[in-house]
Formats: sequence, structure tokens, C-alpha cells
Amino acid sequence: MEAPYDDRLLHQRVVGGDEAALGEIYDRLSSLIFGLSLRVTRDRVIAEDITQEVFLIFWERPLAYDPGRGTLRAWLATIAHRRAVDHVRAEERRRVSALGPRLFERAPDRLEDTVLAADEAERVRQAVTALPDNLRQVVELAYFGGRTYRQVGEELGVPEGTAKSRIRLALRRLADALAEEEV
Amino acid sequence: MEPLERLYLDALLEDPVEPTGTLRPQLLAGARARRRPAAPTAPWAQPYAGRVAAMDALLASAVDDDWSRVIVEGWTLQELVAHLAAKDGLLAASVGAPVLGPELTATDSATRTAHVQAYESARDPEQTRRDWRAQADALCRHLADLPATVPATLDGLEAPAADHVLARMLETWVHTDDAARTARIRLPHPLPGHIHPVADLCARLLPWTMLLSGLDAAGRSVRVTLTGPGGGDWHVALGVEDAAPPAAPDASITADVVAFCFLLGGRGDPASFPAELTGDHALARDVLATAPALSGP
Repeated sequence: MEAPYDDRLLHQRVVGGDEAALGEIYDRLSSLIFGLSLRVTRDRVIAEDITQEVFLIFWERPLAYDPGRGTLRAWLATIAHRRAVDHVRAEERRRVSALGPRLFERAPDRLEDTVLAADEAERVRQAVTALPDNLRQVVELAYFGGRTYRQVGEELGVPEGTAKSRIRLALRRLADALAEEEV
Repeated sequence: MEPLERLYLDALLEDPVEPTGTLRPQLLAGARARRRPAAPTAPWAQPYAGRVAAMDALLASAVDDDWSRVIVEGWTLQELVAHLAAKDGLLAASVGAPVLGPELTATDSATRTAHVQAYESARDPEQTRRDWRAQADALCRHLADLPATVPATLDGLEAPAADHVLARMLETWVHTDDAARTARIRLPHPLPGHIHPVADLCARLLPWTMLLSGLDAAGRSVRVTLTGPGGGDWHVALGVEDAAPPAAPDASITADVVAFCFLLGGRGDPASFPAELTGDHALARDVLATAPALSGP
């Protein structure tokens, strides 16, 4: 999926050394990046460190991002996820080694360039399955069927606005379901 | 991105959590330390400052092998950066800005390039990068207080400082693109607002590129339509002393704005240049064939 025009423009500005563009990107995406880091690390201080580092990496090496290959949001989320998972694993290793010599050397998991680890992805899938039919339908059409809001509306015989609000409602339910599991 | 990941991120946005408010100013302060922003300068020099920042971003990821790889003109990346520093230094000298590097003993760009390259060859590539950036930023800071029309001379060519700076922008852009191609990095275009003044300079140079190629087209004119962000329309009188173009152009050329700027910058073959021509095709082809005449190394 190619990045939208907004992303390209912000990227061009950052490549050209425009600090204000970094501030704008932060305002747009910090909540998402912080939320994602917090979900993985469960630690506000660490999640803030990761958030700061993600935006700094983008500022320092803006050419590592290619808008032809994806959105800015996905790029930053992928970096955040990788850093957060790294942190959690390092913490685990520290705990384990503090307990004394290990009986089993666990093979390191492959670090994938992805926003979701396998277990989290499974939780999202389960949360989708648990949605009421009318909400699950719109999510499946819009996300897995690649339909626009308008097309979703047409297929379900409802106005575009209704399709849109159902998707919002579905997303809120998913957010609640994912938050509950964390407790 | 996978649909599931997109769904996950969209769901996260419905349950927003905010980092503490002090993180933003901390981030922006930290950013300055990690990578220098474009130097503050006059509005008409900002396209140049932007290309300097972009080149610097590219150089930030260069490793040892990259620095010794030949990019263009038989020059390694380090020599190419020294070349840019040499020409930036000559423009700096012309407008009274500080000239860094070896003592200024020659004012033609070929000799000055050789001097700066010799000086930098004894230094670490990262030092060369810092020297070049320091020269470019010193020039930008000096230009901040100058009017665009202040006369400047580079390689015997007298023109307003603003035009010389746009020419520096184009050369820095073209060479950043050269280096990015070698490194297989996709370089995004400058902002439309930074491309447009360079495209304007390129259009205004056409009478000169014709003349320098031995073609006198006085009294004739061409309409140049450049498409894409930063493009525009120009009706150019092709004689260097023509007061204004005649009412109707003799020929018209429609082409991509970036490709056109790069053609003037010596990149791309005029014979196979993708353009739509109308009117006097022979004249339009002459304009394209001679367009690279002012591009040096």
C-alpha cells in the first residue's frame, strides 16, 4: 500500500531538514506509537523512551522510509513494535539469568518486521470473531475484503455514513476487548 | 501492511493514550542534537538549504565502502562532497561569506575543486562531510540578511545571488540523486515550493544554453509547460537580448518538471527525452538538445 500524499509531503519536509514537520508528525502519531509501545511493555516510562526514540530514528534517517512501500504510520509502528519487543525480551533474559544458570537455552525468536507478534495477532482475530454479526461483517469487508466505506454500504444495503459509523463502533469494541485482556 | 495490522492500529486509535506533555519539547530538542535541521536562511535560499539537509541525511547512512565508491566524473563520494564544498565556497567568496577549507587561491571551479579534493583526501570522510556542511550552512546564514538581487559571480558568470543559489540547489540535488542511485536509496523529490523556483531558473536559462551551443534563436520563442508538483508554464524568448517574447510562441514543449530540471543539470539524454512537442519541432528539439550546455561536473 502506497503512502497518501500527506505522508509524502511530511516525508519530503523531514528529508529537507524541516523540524516543524517532525513536530507535526509527532502530534499526529505519538498517541498511537505510545499506545502500541505501552501495550507491549506495560511500562509508561519505557513506552515514552521508545516513543521518543522512534521519532528520533525517523528524523535522523528519514531515507530509510520509502513512501512507495507503505504508510508513515505503519513504518513508525513497526519500529516501535520491534523496539518494544526487544525491550521485553531483554527484560526476560535479565530475570532468567538473575535466577541462576539456565537448564534450557531457548532459541531466540525471529524478530519480524511487523506491528503485531503472533500471539497478539491471534488476540485480534479472536476479538473480531467475538464481534456481533453486523459489526464483524463491516470489519471483514473493509479490512479483509479491501472495500471502501461506500462499497461496504452498497454491499450491505446501508448508506455510506452508516457503514462508517458501524466500523467506528466495531473498532471501539475491538479496542475495549483488547484492553480487557490486558488486565 | 497486513489488513490485520491495519485493523489493530485503527483499533488502538479508538483507545488513545497520551504520553506526558513534556515528551514533545524533549523530542524536538533531542532531534537537533541527532541531526542538524536545514540552516536558517533567506526565503529564496531555502530550496538550497533543504537540498543540503537532504544530502546530509543521505551521507549519514554512508559507511566506509560507500565513501570510496565512484559516483560520477570518476569521483568517489568523498571527492564529490569535496567538489560541492568547493563550489559552495566560491559562491560564499563572491558574496562575502566565510570560505572554509584550504586557502582560496583560485576562483574557477575546476581548480578550486582540485584544491579542496586534495585537502580533503588527507581527512576522514566524516570530516569531509562536516566541512562541506559547515561551508553550506555558513553560506546560508550569510544569505539570510542579503537581498536576492545582490550580484554574485561564479566561474565568470555574473547573476543575482538568488540565481546562483538556485543553481547550487540544482547541483546539490542532482549529485544527491547520483549518490542515492549508487546506494540504491529512493530519494524523495524536494517540496513543490522548492522545485518551482529551480524550474523557473531552468526555463530562464534556455536562451543561454542555446547561445552557448552556437545557436542564435533571437526573435523566436518557446512555451515550456512543466507538469507535476512544482511545475508551471513559461513563455521564453530565445534571444538573450530579446526584451519580451512575441505574442505567440514558435514551438511548445511539455515535459515532467523534475526530468526537465535534471536535463539542464546534465542528466538524461536530450535525444530520448520524454516530451510532447508542438509547433516548430526543429526549434523545440534544438532547445532540448542544447539544454545541458551549462551543466558542468
